[in-house]
Amino acid sequence: MDNAIVSVTDLYKRYGPVVAVDRVSFSVARGEIFGILGPNGAGKTTTLETLEGLRRPDGGQAIVDGIDVRRDPRGVRARIGVQLQEAGFFERLTVTETLELFGSFHPAPLPVATAISRLQLEEKRHARVETLSGGQRQRLSVATALISDPPLIFLDEPTTGLDPQARRNLWEVIAGFRAEGRTVILTTHYMEEAQRLCDRVAIMDHGRIAAMDAPRELIRRYTPGTTVALNVLEGGAAYGTLPGVQRSETINGEVVMSTTDPVQTVDALMELARAGQMHFQQLRVEEATLEDVFLELTGHRLRE
Amino acid sequence: MTIVMGFRMYVRDRSSLFWGMAFPLILMGLIGLAFGRSESLTFRVAFVNPDNPLGVALREGLGQVPVFTMSDVPTEAEAVELLRKGQRILVIIVPPFGSTDPLRVFYDQARDQESRTALVILERFVAEANLRIAGVDPAVRIEATGVAGAQETRFFDFLLPGILAMTVMQTGLQGVTWVVTGYRERLILKRVLATPVRPFVFLTGLVARYAVTNIVQLGVIVLIGVAVFHARIVGSLGMLAAVALFGALAFVGIGFAVSTWSKTPESANLLGSVISFPMLFLAGTLWPREFMPAFMQPVISLLPLTPLVEAMRGIATRGDTVMPYLAGLAYLGLWGGVTFALAAWRFKWE
Repeated sequence: MDNAIVSVTDLYKRYGPVVAVDRVSFSVARGEIFGILGPNGAGKTTTLETLEGLRRPDGGQAIVDGIDVRRDPRGVRARIGVQLQEAGFFERLTVTETLELFGSFHPAPLPVATAISRLQLEEKRHARVETLSGGQRQRLSVATALISDPPLIFLDEPTTGLDPQARRNLWEVIAGFRAEGRTVILTTHYMEEAQRLCDRVAIMDHGRIAAMDAPRELIRRYTPGTTVALNVLEGGAAYGTLPGVQRSETINGEVVMSTTDPVQTVDALMELARAGQMHFQQLRVEEATLEDVFLELTGHRLRE
Repeated sequence: MTIVMGFRMYVRDRSSLFWGMAFPLILMGLIGLAFGRSESLTFRVAFVNPDNPLGVALREGLGQVPVFTMSDVPTEAEAVELLRKGQRILVIIVPPFGSTDPLRVFYDQARDQESRTALVILERFVAEANLRIAGVDPAVRIEATGVAGAQETRFFDFLLPGILAMTVMQTGLQGVTWVVTGYRERLILKRVLATPVRPFVFLTGLVARYAVTNIVQLGVIVLIGVAVFHARIVGSLGMLAAVALFGALAFVGIGFAVSTWSKTPESANLLGSVISFPMLFLAGTLWPREFMPAFMQPVISLLPLTPLVEAMRGIATRGDTVMPYLAGLAYLGLWGGVTFALAAWRFKWE
């Protein structure tokens, strides 16, 4: 990738006998939102913290904005903004003071007021951190990543534990970072988040990257079908031979078909019903999601 | 910035305000209540005189003895009762008019030394009275001249520098351990590590914050100590502050080292207490170290708190310069340096 801001080659990290990151390679283009999607323990956070210069890799190479993380971790930290998963704050400082303090750790910070307005924390500007709600703390956490005005921002599960409304708000903020030309690398275990927000997604499981591409491409490649499902009350058909259907199975009394041409498949089903050959209800047509991709690739669900 | 924010956090933290300022002052007040009586030397004497004119003259004379606080009690039984309760040290019973019986004196055996001193003063007073009544000029006389050698040290003068030294130690062993392990446990240190700031710079800021807050704390304790407890500081305040600052740095080092051995703030605090409390009681902080048995003295000399207490007390109560205490302070500095190195080596961010 020519315009890569991050390039990772054969990154390897182990904790004792446990291999957390197993020879992972990827690169991230300048200006994109890159997601690392996977269940807890997949190695997402370790990968991120290695790129942030917080952990030393045991093997492989990671170049962040032209700097080898292993050679100069502090140089890397000067060019990035980091939001850590579950990290605490100095409870007795206010929002403004916290951002002033973290701004002082960087050579050319953004004005505190800018960071506050970007994260919609104006109302809580003078509130002590200990009084903030979960969503507000999370926004403050993202604000501390933004305060250094970095070209590259790392967000480790930025929306975990937020209610749907707060999550959508934060998505807008993160999409705004991309609009300003910043690059964002985030981890998540919400496939909806990856699908809606990310230009490209790496699906990670057991320390390896199982697949990596734009969400739409991943879905097209790994679950090339749309799901058509129905409850058959009477009669039936040779579902596998209907137009477009790749395979069919019965799950909990429900016939589930995977089809490349949902319009044709549904049309054929309706024809059979009108002809009186079968009687069904609750017809569902579902686009595949990253969840299906994940299931297809790893054999298990994202959250179990 | 770290220092400024640290100071703000400190001011907003009620518990650290309590431990840093209120607790030392309360302790000072309580110890003052317990031991402060010996501060001014007076003996409370009960005087029982039925009707003897000689007794009246005696009473008048005794009333002028500055160390005696006289009170008249009607009957012997009541006076002895007061003695038993420990409310008087001597009871003087004047014989009835015309009797040649001696003056009878009861003294408090429980406070042997004090009552013997009071008896000696009374005997000397009676001897003088006898000479006067006999009209004889004493052949041998004493002319006593007070020489202001070491300034008289009152109890609070003695206590205040000890309390200050204790506060310095507590900041390191209780404050630093609590805060550093707390920051680590809540991953605040990790958040700082994720910025380009050099860990060394941040930790130095943290240490400087403790040094600043310590001096402020000590200032408040000195002010209240002087205003409320009438403690006096003879020596140079600047020198005292400099020594306190030096001690604060050394104990912050020890506190950092302790915090590398504990995962949670609670266990760090406990470990800090285990180290600080024996030192507090042994090192001559609240009472002279000579109160401790002789076999403990070599151990006491090894404690890092001891040289700090001695230097601060020397400066505060005797107006010494720092010179005689340099060796002891160097020893304390060694503690600070070694523990800092140990802490730097063992320090973990998360």
